[in-house]
Amino acid sequence: MEPYYYDSALVSNRIHAIIAAHATPQALNWLQQQLALLQEAKTTQRFNITFTAMPRFTGKTPIPDTHIPEANNFFIYGYTLDRLARIWWLLQLPSEDRSRYIAAIEDLFSAADMNEQITLYGALPLLAYPGEWKLRTAEGVRSNIGGVLEAIMVHNPYPAKYLDEPAWNQLVMKAIFTDKPVHLITGLDERANLQLAQILRDYAHERWAAGRKINPMLWRLIAPFIDNEMMPDINRIWASDQIVDKEAAALACAHTGFAPAKALLQQSPELAGAIADQSLTWVTVAEKASVL
Amino acid sequence: MCCSHELKETAQPLTMVPAFMEHIKGMQFFDPHIHMTSRTTDDYQAMAAAGITAVIEPAFWLGQPRTGVDTFKDYFNSLIGWERFRSSQFGIKHYCTIGLNSKEANNEKLAEAVMEILPLFIYKEGVVGVGEIGFDDQTPAEEKYYRAQLELAKEAGLPVQIHTPHRDKKKGTTRSMDIAIEHGIDPKMVIVDHNNEETVKEVLDRGFWAAFTIYPFTKMGNERMVEVVKQYGSERIMINSAADWGISDPLAVPKTAALMHESGIDSNDIHLVTFRNAITAFAQSGQINEADFEMVKQIDQSLKFNGSTVLRGGQQPFRNAQSTIIS
Repeated sequence: MEPYYYDSALVSNRIHAIIAAHATPQALNWLQQQLALLQEAKTTQRFNITFTAMPRFTGKTPIPDTHIPEANNFFIYGYTLDRLARIWWLLQLPSEDRSRYIAAIEDLFSAADMNEQITLYGALPLLAYPGEWKLRTAEGVRSNIGGVLEAIMVHNPYPAKYLDEPAWNQLVMKAIFTDKPVHLITGLDERANLQLAQILRDYAHERWAAGRKINPMLWRLIAPFIDNEMMPDINRIWASDQIVDKEAAALACAHTGFAPAKALLQQSPELAGAIADQSLTWVTVAEKASVL
Repeated sequence: MCCSHELKETAQPLTMVPAFMEHIKGMQFFDPHIHMTSRTTDDYQAMAAAGITAVIEPAFWLGQPRTGVDTFKDYFNSLIGWERFRSSQFGIKHYCTIGLNSKEANNEKLAEAVMEILPLFIYKEGVVGVGEIGFDDQTPAEEKYYRAQLELAKEAGLPVQIHTPHRDKKKGTTRSMDIAIEHGIDPKMVIVDHNNEETVKEVLDRGFWAAFTIYPFTKMGNERMVEVVKQYGSERIMINSAADWGISDPLAVPKTAALMHESGIDSNDIHLVTFRNAITAFAQSGQINEADFEMVKQIDQSLKFNGSTVLRGGQQPFRNAQSTIIS
């Protein structure tokens, strides 16, 4: 079986080109030396030292956001040079020996500082043997460190592709609980499911009981499953004095086939029109909600 | 300080701003020795309010001996991971030093295993030295691992943070410095900690950094510290709280600054011993970037205002400690 499900040599070259455009000649030279040392020694220790020492030699220049579709839809988003150089370095780890490769990556995770964890979780879509990192991803979702959670949740195509339904639902719930930008989760609509919708509805009721605000993005995940039981909640947010809640209700109504919801939306030609001309979308709701 | 006075202080209503805060308005502090894993979020909140912008957490003994290398690994991990993050929630930049402490160096089998994993951690970002290492009982095992860690620090180009013993302190301090020099370590790369009136002269004369721990009852009181600065000045002197799981004070640095101010010590000298000198000494690691002090505050602000990456959903890092209402 091939270790990588994409052309890792090509992607390694593409990433290296981005690094080269932002690194000093000394840093590039250092990276080349490290590669030569690794190819000669072929030891995990050699690999680990370079991985850990990276920021000391590359610095932390910001890297412009870049999409690399041929790398399993990898997204360089909010990166600094040290993080991207560590990603490139991960692609240099010999992967032919499956168990050795997996042990080396797991060891990196287990001794990782915060920035290394952020890098490693962000690298999930690029690691070899992609089926092997499901439990590790679920472990990362249990983290209480914001940056680690964002590395897994935001513009990361790995979880939607590989997590089973309970683990996926945990990820989405955790994102809502910790006020992460839910709309930036890759595969959010594709992986919507009834179980998650029911959990989120119960959660909304708890928040109401406690007199706390509800992230309007929650209704996006409920929308495809609106039925007689869910409809009173939609009516409730439709009647909210917060305009962003009413907008979320309108969007939810627009994304369901449930007739009473469709009828509700028709009560406001203004909102229905805004949805039709795309001036009201889940993205505009997310942006409005984040400044509240 | 007299104990009944202490009791009276805590019995007063908590709503008043402590008097010492008046003297240190607008000042920034760096506490280069504090064990935050043992402290609460109330401490972090009070430290940030008192102007502490950055701290160093040395690896140390946890109050009881560890039984395996994995608990050391998890502890080192928490210093570079969770604790650093927790601190950032309060706008305080957190650094650490990594090392095998002197007490546990006496468990040789375990010490060997710890020495094996140390190189994994001392090259991490934000690790500003090897510490706290040195002597406790001054046993041969302590000496062996002290020497081995000096070699590690030398190879990594990192400063060394030396813990000096409580018992037989003067001799232990001299011996720690002798050994460092024997290993070819430049005294300017060594911070000798827990000094007192008896040790400070030799430490300074030999070119080492002299750190003082302001710690109630067992180490220095801050009135004594004022006298030390009056006598020796501010060159290569720094103060810290070494606050930990014992009866200690995480505000020792700002409180001592206030007392120095009241005692007429020049504000530049106060700045040096409570902020600048510690940075100069530990920045020799190449791991301290002062721009990060502001950055960590900005991150904290964004957490506060749009709630995008706070600890738990909607939780604000600063709560109103004076309010009866918990919402």
